[in-house]
Amino acid sequence: MGSRVVVTRANRIKAKLQSALEATALEIDDVSYQHAGHAAVRASTAEGQTETHFNVKIVSPKFDGQSLLKRHRLVYDALADELHSGLHALSIVANTPQEAEAKAKTQNPIPNK
Amino acid sequence: MARSLSSMLLKGIAGLPATRPSRIVFGSFSHNGMGFSTTVPNDPDTHEDFKPTNKLESSDLSLNDVVEQDVKENPVMIYMKGVPEFPQCGFSSLAVRVLKQYNVPLASRNILEDPELKSAVKTFSHWPTFPQIFIKGEFIGGSDIILNLHQSGELKEKLKDVTASQEKSE
Repeated sequence: MGSRVVVTRANRIKAKLQSALEATALEIDDVSYQHAGHAAVRASTAEGQTETHFNVKIVSPKFDGQSLLKRHRLVYDALADELHSGLHALSIVANTPQEAEAKAKTQNPIPNK
Repeated sequence: MARSLSSMLLKGIAGLPATRPSRIVFGSFSHNGMGFSTTVPNDPDTHEDFKPTNKLESSDLSLNDVVEQDVKENPVMIYMKGVPEFPQCGFSSLAVRVLKQYNVPLASRNILEDPELKSAVKTFSHWPTFPQIFIKGEFIGGSDIILNLHQSGELKEKLKDVTASQEKSE
């Protein structure tokens, strides 16, 4: 308790996903506060771990041709150390560059003519 | 305040029997008995010092067998934080809410109740987080994936014959 974490877990997650999955886009949100009350987290908080839940949005060419399950496994594999040291849960949005591009188009449609 | 409330709830949950998954059925469907019993807690080879203190382990099934049996015998099995009526994590809550849409029997175990079971499930599925959902023995994934399958219509497809076979047996 008390010792300031200099390198945040969010930064470590970012670095690990970047290098393992060659992410072309990466957004990490620490949403631990949303889970602060629940039982498993209270135990970790007592051990000084406050960064337990994250939303991860990742675009990687390595997801190409992979099922959702496999994509999530790739993310979890890259973050194995974090998961062993108090990271409880990730919400993962995993897209290939092509999918991300297609989504961006439907969300911001360019008007015809 | 919140702290004392949840520790109270935790105690309450820890007191529940853990020898088999709880199973609830949503909607009007009523389940006619589940042929599920664990047997013979005595293991003559176990020295007293090494006797498990854990409720699940005290049966002659290894925890891996327990998980294997769970997912084999329950068409929809969820390992979660808390219980379906009272999930203790937003992700578990989300997964239950999704599955509730389908009016299928839902078997569950609370992994907060049992750290040994928790690691057995992780090892079984090679998946590090909870909830974990199995449909007809197949590992599906966690809350993100179940939500995704729900939205894409694939979940309906996967659960189609689960609902159908249950209706037939009525």
